[in-house]
Amino acid sequence: MTPAQAQAQAPAQAQAPATTIVAPLVITGCGVVSPAGHGLAPLTSAGGPPAADLDAIGGDFPPVALAAAPDLRVAESLGTKGIRSLDRTTLLALVAAHNALGTLGAPLADEERARTGVVIGSSTGSVRSSSEFSRETLVRDKPYLVRANRFPSAVMNFCAGQLAIWNSLRGVNATIADGRVSGLAAVRYARNAIARGRVDRALVGAAEELCAESAWAWHHSGALAPGTAVGEGAAVFVVETPAGAAAAGRTPLAELLACEVGTPGSGGMRASLAGCVDRALRRSGVSAADVDTVSLGATGIRGLRAAEEDAVRAALRRPPADGPTPHWIRPAARLGESYSASGALQIAALLAAWQAPDAAGGSVAVVTSLGDDGHAGCLVMRRPQPPSTGH
Amino acid sequence: MSERVVVTGLGAVSSLGTGAHVFARAVREGRSGVAPIRGFDTTGFPYTYGGEVADFEPERILHRLETGRWGRSALFAASAARLAVEDSGIDPDRISGEVTGSAMGTTFGESAVIEALTGQSVEGGMKALDPALVPQAPAGRIAAAVNAELALTGEAHTIATACSASNYALGYAYDMIRTGEAAFMLAGGADSVNRWSHAGFYRLGALAESVCRPFDAGRSGILTAEGGVALFLETLDGAVARGARVYAEVLGYGVNCDAKHPVAPDPTSIAACVRAAHQDAGVRPADIDYICAHGTGTPTNDATEVAAMRTVFGDALPPISSIKSMIGHTMGAASGFGALICCMALHEGFLPPTANVTEPDPALGDGLDCVPGTGRAASPQIVQNNGFAFGGNNAITVLGRVA
Repeated sequence: MTPAQAQAQAPAQAQAPATTIVAPLVITGCGVVSPAGHGLAPLTSAGGPPAADLDAIGGDFPPVALAAAPDLRVAESLGTKGIRSLDRTTLLALVAAHNALGTLGAPLADEERARTGVVIGSSTGSVRSSSEFSRETLVRDKPYLVRANRFPSAVMNFCAGQLAIWNSLRGVNATIADGRVSGLAAVRYARNAIARGRVDRALVGAAEELCAESAWAWHHSGALAPGTAVGEGAAVFVVETPAGAAAAGRTPLAELLACEVGTPGSGGMRASLAGCVDRALRRSGVSAADVDTVSLGATGIRGLRAAEEDAVRAALRRPPADGPTPHWIRPAARLGESYSASGALQIAALLAAWQAPDAAGGSVAVVTSLGDDGHAGCLVMRRPQPPSTGH
Repeated sequence: MSERVVVTGLGAVSSLGTGAHVFARAVREGRSGVAPIRGFDTTGFPYTYGGEVADFEPERILHRLETGRWGRSALFAASAARLAVEDSGIDPDRISGEVTGSAMGTTFGESAVIEALTGQSVEGGMKALDPALVPQAPAGRIAAAVNAELALTGEAHTIATACSASNYALGYAYDMIRTGEAAFMLAGGADSVNRWSHAGFYRLGALAESVCRPFDAGRSGILTAEGGVALFLETLDGAVARGARVYAEVLGYGVNCDAKHPVAPDPTSIAACVRAAHQDAGVRPADIDYICAHGTGTPTNDATEVAAMRTVFGDALPPISSIKSMIGHTMGAASGFGALICCMALHEGFLPPTANVTEPDPALGDGLDCVPGTGRAASPQIVQNNGFAFGGNNAITVLGRVA
């Protein structure tokens, strides 16, 4: 068959994009708040997180394991003014963003902020804020006697809007609510915005708060694997082009290659994720054999854990008992299940592993995500090459 | 690679009826979809009108979804998407066999589900939550429902940038087709009427009693509303090759953020967003024949919006109207309904009206043509669709007739 015939036969012209190799972006700044603490270093220490301090959160929690971020150090990052109406999701993200911008070496100039966007993954905004606001309409003397100043934080884009306001970031401002895949979907969304020149760089990440409402939801769902805590956290990254980073003198912490997301259609969830991994590798111009580290996401979810690992093995063509095994990172085992923040915390855990003093020599990693009904995602990342041997 | 991107299918589930053509006919006639709210108990609310989808019967529209497993917003989105695909005339097996995805905007996500869960919690504590309802709560189910209904394997993004979200979704979908990332995309939005947003807007002083009057001297606010809307996007070459009806070409879009205030809009930032959209679309202000306004009907929005448009268009302000006068504020679906009516206006040759205008607000300045009353026959070539939101999230799309 000639190529022309093949194309004529094919719904497969749609496969053409899958062969296009994407231009890498780079992460130049990183801020993390998780049950392990602040920053990357605590993500690699052994043992579980410290016992959750629920007094800072409050509420009537169900009998499930919980993993809360310790002291958010809000005053250190944000000062003491204008923080009273901020929900925990927004505080987590603001602190992570503050820390991410703080790792850049020099603050962004005002003209850079005008060309900087925000892309944040979120489940349903602050679940607690919308639930409490909804509750007020039922328990007050009159249904409209709600607190008006709490209304904005009951809307899902409040967090992204606050990130823009606190940091004067005037570019694209997107909230991506793709369930467990939100963190990787935010990377994909930001990749397009930067590649199309709509912004020069973006704060990209995800945030999820621990609250009684979501803990009860997990409890009722029966979806958590035994021993898995309901977690929380936020990770925010400064993402830009390699040229932009070089011009500003910012050092890449990692390269972001392709990020592919999808749904199963009429197929199964393993095929959905394996397809994402396969497509992401091809569009990154790397082979399955190059992958030496996998940062997994579905570790704490019944049914999904095995599906995720099977799909990754299939896509990397490494059956369990054959060939070199990649280094598996499972941040949820320690940090708990953090739903929409999981993908961003997996990226952070990978950066932490690369920066650890005893880090192995690997250079190409995949970060995978698998959610309800087989919604899947895969991001390929590469450790930056030393300048002398750079591509 | 940069393909031209066109809209070849439209779907609507609205207070003015089901289907894009039913919807557009009603808008053109200036009819209202506003009625007393039935979706929640309005006892105790001073204002009780909204734009609801009466007698929504998703099982008559959907082929695959088990309707009992999905929230109201997801069912709106999936229904609109199914209708858009049917309207496009494409073989549904073809889109599920190629890289096809969805991007759906929302403000309040599955608010009706969250509200039902909250009610259970108030009654019996969180122990009493219905385990079958809990999995329906995440907002991401909205785009997921579109992909599940149409058996799609591409991306499924629920974009939660509040009331400009559908324009965000349309812009992203346009980029995916233009760059060849996807063969087909569904873009739109969905939201459900709910008690807590009704209460919130009332307390902000932003709610009208029973009539939404954008640009009128007596305008007093929004009416909360709901619905689902979807646009089916493909390449112009592909549409021509299959002999499809082309409603409009997506010419470009602009997005930015005020980064100033959580709820108050900023005219300077909105003007910058218009200019970014024009630049992306390769058009000048003089090329714009019509503006589908954000036009919520609050005193502040309409004044800010008109001031921002005057900054860009000067004295040559094109006709600018608000379909929220007829359907209320459908929140995350609002700019999707705006985009849909823009497509119909370009395709059929008319300007959508602003209903309920009895005395145009003189404070908005001279030369403001808000197309009062009923639609006007015209032949717009290039139109602009405005979307603004809480959080200072501005998003503006530009659409045109395919020459």
